[in-house]
Amino acid sequence: MPRLVRRADYFVGQFAAMASDCEVLIDTDNQALAQSICICAVSEVTRLEHKYSRYRDDNILYRINQGGRMEVDEETARLLDYAQQLHTLSDGLFDVTSGVLRRAWHFDGSDRLPSAEQVEALLPLIGWHKVYWHKPEIHLAAGMEIDFGGIGKEYAADRAVLAVNALLAEQTNHYDQQTPVLVNLGGDLAINGPRRNGAGWQVAFDNGDKQTEGFSLQQGGVATSGDSHRYLQKDGVRYSHVLDPRSGWPVKHAPATVTVVANSCTDAGMLSTLALLHGAEAEAFLRGQGVPYWVRTEC
Amino acid sequence: MQLKQTSPRNIRRPLAAATCSLLTGVSHAGGLIASGNNWKIDSALMLYAEKDRVQLAEGVLQVGKEIDDDEFVNVRMVADVLTGASPNGAIPIDSAQTFTRPSGEGTYSAAANKTPLDTSFRDLRGALNVEWDKPLSTYQRGIFSASLSSEQDYLSTGIAATFAQDLNQRNTTLTFGLSYNRDSVMPQGGVPVGLSTMPPFPATKTTTGSSKTKNVAEALFGITQVISRQSLMQLNYSWGKSNGYLTDPYKILSVLDSNLSGDLRASNPYVFEKRPDSRAYQSLYWKGVHQFANENVLNLSYRYFWDDWGIQSHTVDVRYRFDFKAHHYLQPHLRYYQQGKADFYRQVLIDGEETTLAAASADYRLGEFVTRTIGLKYGYEFKNGAEINFRMEVITQKGKDQAADAVGKLQNQQLFPNNEAYLLQAGVSLDSDILMKVLRGLFNY
Repeated sequence: MPRLVRRADYFVGQFAAMASDCEVLIDTDNQALAQSICICAVSEVTRLEHKYSRYRDDNILYRINQGGRMEVDEETARLLDYAQQLHTLSDGLFDVTSGVLRRAWHFDGSDRLPSAEQVEALLPLIGWHKVYWHKPEIHLAAGMEIDFGGIGKEYAADRAVLAVNALLAEQTNHYDQQTPVLVNLGGDLAINGPRRNGAGWQVAFDNGDKQTEGFSLQQGGVATSGDSHRYLQKDGVRYSHVLDPRSGWPVKHAPATVTVVANSCTDAGMLSTLALLHGAEAEAFLRGQGVPYWVRTEC
Repeated sequence: MQLKQTSPRNIRRPLAAATCSLLTGVSHAGGLIASGNNWKIDSALMLYAEKDRVQLAEGVLQVGKEIDDDEFVNVRMVADVLTGASPNGAIPIDSAQTFTRPSGEGTYSAAANKTPLDTSFRDLRGALNVEWDKPLSTYQRGIFSASLSSEQDYLSTGIAATFAQDLNQRNTTLTFGLSYNRDSVMPQGGVPVGLSTMPPFPATKTTTGSSKTKNVAEALFGITQVISRQSLMQLNYSWGKSNGYLTDPYKILSVLDSNLSGDLRASNPYVFEKRPDSRAYQSLYWKGVHQFANENVLNLSYRYFWDDWGIQSHTVDVRYRFDFKAHHYLQPHLRYYQQGKADFYRQVLIDGEETTLAAASADYRLGEFVTRTIGLKYGYEFKNGAEINFRMEVITQKGKDQAADAVGKLQNQQLFPNNEAYLLQAGVSLDSDILMKVLRGLFNY
C-alpha cells in the first residue's frame, strides 16, 4: 500500500515500482479524494508492471517470448503497433527486439567486454522486421525476445494519469475544478495539467555538477534516459550502456543522460532514448525536434 | 557504427500522433504514421444498362499510399466492357430501314417505327490514372497526374496539375488547375468524310484517312470557403477548348425528300454527321456542404455550362446522408439536368442541305433534353475502418422534338430517342492490412 503524506498544500503518495522510487502528487485538500487517486494511480502502474515485466513468467510478455503464433489483447497490440511505428520513424534505431544483447553485455563498470563473435552471434535474433506482427497475431522466431523496457515506465506514467482522469470524471461533477495530479516514476513525470493556483509544477533534477536545475511544467511530461553508472571501461575507452540494435555495439559518444520535456511522458521518453542512440549527434537531433531538453555528457 | 551525418529529421509530429493512438486507442486524424505503411484500397463494380440499348460493366480499383508526411500517391485502374446498341442518329420511319455497319462488313436494320440502333457496339476499355499529391509548403499543395485510356478505336492521354493555396488560417483555399489531353480516334472502317452519304451495302463509305486526333486544354479557378464548423462552400469556374476531330464517326443523319412529305429521299437517304473542329466551353459550379447536429450531411450543387456550339445546360444535384447508429448510412440522391441544343443539331436534313451546311449532327447528346436521376446509396462501416456500399440509380432522359424538323408524317413519330437506364454499384474500401488478414483467413495461412 502506498504511504500517503500531507504536505503544505498537497498530498504525496510514495511507493516502489518498476525498480524505481515512485510518487503521486495530488494537489487537493481532500484527503479521501487524495487516497482514492493515489490508489488508482498505483494500481495502474502495478497492473502494467505485472503485465509487461520481463522478470515474470506469468504474463503476456513471457508467453510472446516463448515463440509460436499467438493472439494478443488490445493494449498489447497498441504497444506492438507503437513499437513498429517507432522502428520505422527511427530508421531501425529503436527496436524492441534488441534486449537479447543483454546476454552478451553486462555494464557493471568492469573491463569485461564481450567478444566480437559473441555479439555477432546475437544479431540474427534482433530486428523488428523479422517479427511476424499482423494485429492481433504475433509470432516470434525461436530465440527472439521482445522487451518494452524502452517504453514501459513512460507509458505507465501516462496511463496512470489517464486512469486518474477517468476516475475523476466518474466521481466528480464536471463543473468541479479538475484535481491536478503528477505521477513520478523514478524521474519520468506525467501530469494532467497545471496546479490549482494555475502555476506549473516545479521540477528539479540533478544536472551532474552536484547542482540542481529546475523548471516549471504546465502540461505534458518529462523523461530522462541514460544511466551514468552503467558502463564498461577498457584500455581507456568508455563504453556506454546504449546499444545500437543494428550493430550490437555501444553507440559512441552518447551523452550520459538526456532529459526531455514533451506533450506526454511517452513522447519525452522516446525523444530522450532516440537522442542517446544518436550518439554524438544527440544534441543536433534534439535541436531538430524543437523541444526543451538537457544533455549531461560526463558523469 | 557511425550514424548518418545528415541533419536529423523532425519526428515530433508523427511521434505525437503515434503516442496519442497508443495512449487513447484512438488513431489521431493527423496520425499519418499510423497507416503509413499500408495501402488504402477502394474497389467497385458497376453495372449500367439502358433499356433495350447499351450495357456496361465496369470494374474500378484504386490504391493509395502515403509515401511521406502528407504526401500521397494514388493509382486508379478502370476496366469496362460495353455491349449493346446505340441510336445511330437516323429517325424512325413507317417502314423498315437497313444500314451499313461502320466496318463496312455487313448491315443491320431497324423495324418500322423503331428508333434505328447500331448494334455493332462492343468495346473493351482500360484506363490508368496516376496521381501524386504533395505539400509544396506549409500552406500549398500540388497535385500532379497523368492518365491513359485505351479502347479498340480510341486512345486518350492526359496530364494535369492543380495547385491549392490555403489562406485565412486554412478557412479559405484557392485552387488553380491546368490540364491537357490528346486523343486519337481510329474508327472502324476508316474516318468518314463529314456529310458524305452512307452508300448502300456492299459499297463502302468515302473516308479521309484511318485516324484523327483532338486536343483538349482546360483551366480551372476555384475557391473553397469554410463558413462554419458545419458548412463549407465551393465555387469553381472552368474554361476549356478542344481542337481537332470532334465529330462522332459512327453517327449519321436521315435526309428527307425535298417535297416535305416526311419521306426519306429516294437514293442514299443517310449522310455522316459533321461537327465544327473547335469548341470553347465554360462552366460555373457551386457546391455547398452542411453537416447537421445529428451528423447527417447535405450536399447541394449547381452547375451552369455554356459553349460556342450554342449548348447551355443546368445541373442541380442533391444528396442527403442519413447517418445511423452502428455505422450504417443511407444516402438518397436526386439530380436534374436540362440541356439546350447545339446550333447545328438537326433531327433530319432536307435533300440538298448536306451540301450547304457547314456542320450538322443528329446525335441526341447534342439535342434539347432533360435527364432526371433518382438514386439511393447504402453504406456500412466496419469497426476496423473498412466500408462496403451499394448504390442504385434510375435515370430517365426525355428529349424535345424540333418542330422545324418534324415535317409531314414525321409529326407522328417520336424523333428524339427517349431513354431509361439503371445503375447498380457495389463498392469496398479497406486498408491493405485488413485485406491481408481476410486473405490469410480465406487460405488458412
